[in-house]
Amino acid sequence: MRSFSSLSTRLTVQFALLFAAAMLAITAALSTFISGVASRQVESQLQSSGAVYDRLWDQRAHELQNAAQLLSRDFGFRAAVATGDQATMQSALGNAAARLKVRSAFIVTADGKVTAIDPSIGAREAARLWEPLDDGRLTGVSVLAGRPRQLVAAPIMAPVLIGWVVFAADLDPREMRGLERLSAIPLHAAVLAQTSGRWSEAAGSMSALNSQSASRAEAHVKSGAAFEMSVAGEKSIVLAKALPTFSGDERAILLLAYPKSQALAEARKLQLGLAIMTLLGLFLMGFATWRAAGRITQPLARLDEAAGRLASGEHVQVRVRGHDELARLADSFNEMVGKIAEREQRITQLAFNDVLTGLPNRTMFHQQLEQLFHATEGSGGLFALHCLDLDQFKVINDTLGHPAGDALLVEAAQRVRRAARGHFVARLGGDEFVVLQSVGDDRDAIDRLAREILSAITQPISIDGNEFMPSTSIGIAIAPDDGRDGGTLLRNADLALYRAKEAGRGTYAFFEESLNERAQERRQLESDLRLAVERGEFELHYQPLFDLEHNRICSFEALIRWNHPKRGLISPADFVPIAEDTGLIVPIGAWVIREACAEAARWPDQIRIAVNVSPVQFHRGALHETILRALAASGLDAERLEVEITESIFLEGSETTLKLLHALRALGIRVALDDFGTGYSSLSYLQSFPFDKLKIDRSFIQNLLTRDGASAIVRAITELAHALNIETTAEGVEETAQLMELRAHGCSSVQGFLFAEPMTAADVDKLFREDRVEIQDSRDVA
Amino acid sequence: MVRGFFLLAAGLALAAPLGAAPLTVRVVDANGRPVRDAVVTLRPAGAAARAPRPGGHFVVSQQNIQFHPFLTIVPVGADVSFPNLDNTKHHVYSFSPAKKFELKLFARDQSRTVHFDKPGVIALGCNIHDQMSAFIVVTDSAWTARTNAQGVVAFGDAPNAPAQLTVWHAYLRAPGGMMQQAIAPGQRSASFSVRLRPAPPAMPMDY
Repeated sequence: MRSFSSLSTRLTVQFALLFAAAMLAITAALSTFISGVASRQVESQLQSSGAVYDRLWDQRAHELQNAAQLLSRDFGFRAAVATGDQATMQSALGNAAARLKVRSAFIVTADGKVTAIDPSIGAREAARLWEPLDDGRLTGVSVLAGRPRQLVAAPIMAPVLIGWVVFAADLDPREMRGLERLSAIPLHAAVLAQTSGRWSEAAGSMSALNSQSASRAEAHVKSGAAFEMSVAGEKSIVLAKALPTFSGDERAILLLAYPKSQALAEARKLQLGLAIMTLLGLFLMGFATWRAAGRITQPLARLDEAAGRLASGEHVQVRVRGHDELARLADSFNEMVGKIAEREQRITQLAFNDVLTGLPNRTMFHQQLEQLFHATEGSGGLFALHCLDLDQFKVINDTLGHPAGDALLVEAAQRVRRAARGHFVARLGGDEFVVLQSVGDDRDAIDRLAREILSAITQPISIDGNEFMPSTSIGIAIAPDDGRDGGTLLRNADLALYRAKEAGRGTYAFFEESLNERAQERRQLESDLRLAVERGEFELHYQPLFDLEHNRICSFEALIRWNHPKRGLISPADFVPIAEDTGLIVPIGAWVIREACAEAARWPDQIRIAVNVSPVQFHRGALHETILRALAASGLDAERLEVEITESIFLEGSETTLKLLHALRALGIRVALDDFGTGYSSLSYLQSFPFDKLKIDRSFIQNLLTRDGASAIVRAITELAHALNIETTAEGVEETAQLMELRAHGCSSVQGFLFAEPMTAADVDKLFREDRVEIQDSRDVA
Repeated sequence: MVRGFFLLAAGLALAAPLGAAPLTVRVVDANGRPVRDAVVTLRPAGAAARAPRPGGHFVVSQQNIQFHPFLTIVPVGADVSFPNLDNTKHHVYSFSPAKKFELKLFARDQSRTVHFDKPGVIALGCNIHDQMSAFIVVTDSAWTARTNAQGVVAFGDAPNAPAQLTVWHAYLRAPGGMMQQAIAPGQRSASFSVRLRPAPPAMPMDY
């Protein structure tokens, strides 16, 4: 805003300055013109005054001359002059002078004698005039008795020249003032005359004579132009005119001085008017420019403000009237704002919504969660976080492909949204969904919603012609009890979700503090496990397998034990899942293989060693190399090594799994399928790979004597294996009756506490030393 | 009449006494041109000049509103008659100190005679016609002559003694219209350089 007001100021100032410069130039030119005109006018007035003066001078001279001639021709006068009749001469002169109002008159005779009526003019001074008179000079200025005077002479002929009658008219102040009054302009007149180097003056209303004026005036006489000079301390425009002098060695100058202040008064008035008009014009121009600049900058300022508001996220529209560039700019701006809004919406959608399902994404969920925390803070209100994870989604994705998985996700999203209408639903990624439910203090509502979601999800769905019955598990955490921040709440809901999964799929579970404790325990175990790998806290125990045909130990299964430095022996069931989750199973499993091979290499040749291999090892552990190195290091015959895998191996990329299994088989290594009968137990596995052994899950053995079905299944398995030429091993045999039943079913070998618990390597050595590899107790083998 | 005057002068020269010598006087103007009709008079210093032959009758007539002749040299004691030959009146006057007179010649052929008994220059004027002007030089010296066209006057028998030369001309610019020069004994020539004022236009120099 400020920059625009400064733009307007700048425009105003610039235009005003330009205009001012133009105005000043014009004013200066006009002023100069006026001055010039005024000067010329003054000069012409002076010139005409000078001309008037000339005429007056001539008239006066003429008048005097006429009188002088009249006198000089008077016979009596001539007779008086010729005869030197002083009395007659004096009276005749006096008479004429009085008539002419001339103070001084005198006669200069041809032989230089002077007869005067004015005693102030000395005879010698008058005699000086003889020369010019004799030269024929009859008029002119001459200084007599220290004062310039106008002299007019007439020759006295009797009949030859016997003398001249001379009238000397005073050029006194009164005379000069009379002249000044005759002028049209208020000027000061003065006559300067020079005789023998000295200037004298006949001044009018003021004296013009000073040390410089005479010489300056003299310098300007020739040009005839007016000039400026200080006259009696006043700046004046002066015209200097040469006046005829009576004698050649005299100078006379008429000075007409026009005081500049008066001369240029009119011009000054005009100039003042001009200056006022200029100022007025400047003011008007400045105002107009300011207004115009405002008209230009106001829309700009509005655009600027709108741009600022746009920058701060507001979607503003600018209204600018008109059809000029600014209006078009405003239109473009508005259009741009619209497009920005569109794009923002799109970006927001991309940023906050899941592209596949259209549900809000994780980012938006976190925002919503934070808002909800904020909204319920201190209100005592509760809200629940439902964490959903579709059951078996991975299987569907793997078996039917990603498009099918995506279709399932979209359908599931719709179902959740419908079920949880009015609540915030988001997809966090993969097959994870969340629902945020504000409940006030109605905890039952949480259960109701969870059940509704479960039932909504658990509806048949058809994808690519395949019918499914999807299900989900839900973990629920309630704020603020189960977490006062988003991270905690989500983690706890996740823990509850694990719990629900554990509890069997298609259920929901609430978070309990114990879950948290378990999770903490698990985390502790995880870090301990890392240390255990480094510290070598693991130990292998060996459980013998008895060959029922030969009644002797045919093999040992290597079983890992963890001697926790504080907690003592920890079961594999407790740490193997953690090791699998963290990937620690890879180094641990490799150690197991190396250790088992090394141990077994010291055993009798017919005794095999069986090692459990985790799917994680299988898929990520470079198992092939690990086994090759272990065999090479121990020198164990490959055929004495048996790897035990579970069906879960096939859940992830059965192709590569089969390739690896075949590679192991090519080395001569035996492959056993562990825990057979549980899990997915697909007979297609048996077809796709020639297993060496099936290990019947201990659950069947435990129920062997109590449930009819169990016995049938065991028999079916043994028969199936027999038909496929696959050995069978029954796990968990604890009772003699079970043994007998298994023997009856034709089971190849057994394993269990009935015969031997897992034992240390030292115990195995002892067993071999004592040669107790055969079943001694006939009762046991009966 | 002029011729007669010359003859008179020549006669005087021939009759020069012993101790006399010829003297040539030349009058020129400021530009060196000869000035004619200047009247040169020689007077011995400290002694009276030899008197000219007295008597004789001279006429200055007024005809066509002019005096005739313009210049007349007469000896002291000469009579000059002033006949009016015009139809107009003439009022002839002289304010010259040598002879003041007024002659009112109001009728044609009216003539008056004036006796000039003192040496000097008499300027004649007419009170009715300002342009009329004439001069009569009344001399008391036998050595008086007017310059010729070459501006020269020759005195054959000038006294061989200190003398005073006077030159007069009607328009000579000097008080009294004359200039003077001393002549040493034995000086054979003298010259005057004079300034002349222009002649009035109506006054013919030639007559």
